[in-house]
Amino acid sequence: MFSHLAVATGLATGDMIFFAVCFILLMWLIKIVAWKPINQMMQDRADKISNDIDTAEKSREEAAQLAQQRQDALANSRQEASSIVDSAKKQGQQQRDGILAQAQTDAQSLKDNAKKDIEQERQDALSSVRNDVADLSIEIASKIIQKELSADDQKALIDSYIEGLGK
Amino acid sequence: MGDPSSVATFQFGGLTFNAANIISGLIAFVLVFLFVFALSRHITMKPGRGQNVLEWLVDFTNGILKGSIPGNEVGGFGLYGFTLFLFLFVSNELGLFIQVAVGGKDFVRSPTSDPIVTMTFSVATLMLAQYAGVAKLGWKKHFSGYLKPFVFWLPISIFEEFTNFLTLGLRIFGVIYSGEMLLKIIGNLAFSHGIATMIVAVPLEMFWQGFSAFLGAIQAFVFVTLSAVYISNKLEVEE
Repeated sequence: MFSHLAVATGLATGDMIFFAVCFILLMWLIKIVAWKPINQMMQDRADKISNDIDTAEKSREEAAQLAQQRQDALANSRQEASSIVDSAKKQGQQQRDGILAQAQTDAQSLKDNAKKDIEQERQDALSSVRNDVADLSIEIASKIIQKELSADDQKALIDSYIEGLGK
Repeated sequence: MGDPSSVATFQFGGLTFNAANIISGLIAFVLVFLFVFALSRHITMKPGRGQNVLEWLVDFTNGILKGSIPGNEVGGFGLYGFTLFLFLFVSNELGLFIQVAVGGKDFVRSPTSDPIVTMTFSVATLMLAQYAGVAKLGWKKHFSGYLKPFVFWLPISIFEEFTNFLTLGLRIFGVIYSGEMLLKIIGNLAFSHGIATMIVAVPLEMFWQGFSAFLGAIQAFVFVTLSAVYISNKLEVEE
């Protein structure tokens, strides 16, 4: 039953060559048709996955950075708002103080002016009255007691009279 | 299959050819090529169904090689392992499903049920191992490996190469040949005494076919694994 084996029937050397050549041919065909594209694609896929992982890591970091920035901006704006309110308050206070002081000085000066005016008026009135009275009294006195009164007596009389007016 | 007249031989260019081996070998080669060709048509970044199968097979055979060959050396042998596994697998299973005999002579059967075919692949593997050893270590270092651990080890080293060649080729031949032989015997039994023996033989035949299919897959796997082991032996410097 073993008589058909290679050793028994004479070596079928042709078969060896046939299988060797066919196998090399098959290997070559598979390399062209499948092996190269498949390995290329597997390599590409591995590259893509590692790229994707890197990109994901990067975008995660970016997102964290953005969130941090937003947080900072928010805190900043809150601080800014409070400082704006503060400065506005301060400015208002200052303005109020200024206006008040201005008003006070204005009022003071008005009062002073008025006082001065009144004094002036009084002085004017007094002097005019003095003159008028002097003239009038001279006129009246000259009319009433024309001869009896000397000039000195008359002046003394007028002065005493005016003094009485001043009080 | 048993007697010498069961295979047709012919002479061509002074060489003897075995018709059964040539025909069934061609069928196996064409089947493997069509299988790979059909699955590799639409290769995309997102693998489709066929591409997934093919990529799984590539990963599988690469995994076998990586088991023994150091990681960065696998690349060059990946294609050899892939083709070898597919061809041996298809060859082993071929005879389980199709056996054509015309006029008492086989024409289609498992190519691997003939030792000349398995020995061819065994020689191919060992030649590749020698080549890889020389390519990596250089002539001197490679052949000085035969003198280790000491000079008188040389005959044993050479004998080891010879037994590697024989066992690698004969293991797969033996399993596939005996599997087909038993299938034939059960088949003969089925037709020997009419309906009664057929009823007994059919489940037996089915059982043995399934077992042989399993054995065929195992043998293809073992052959590639041992190829990787022999190649890796030649890649390492023995201390």
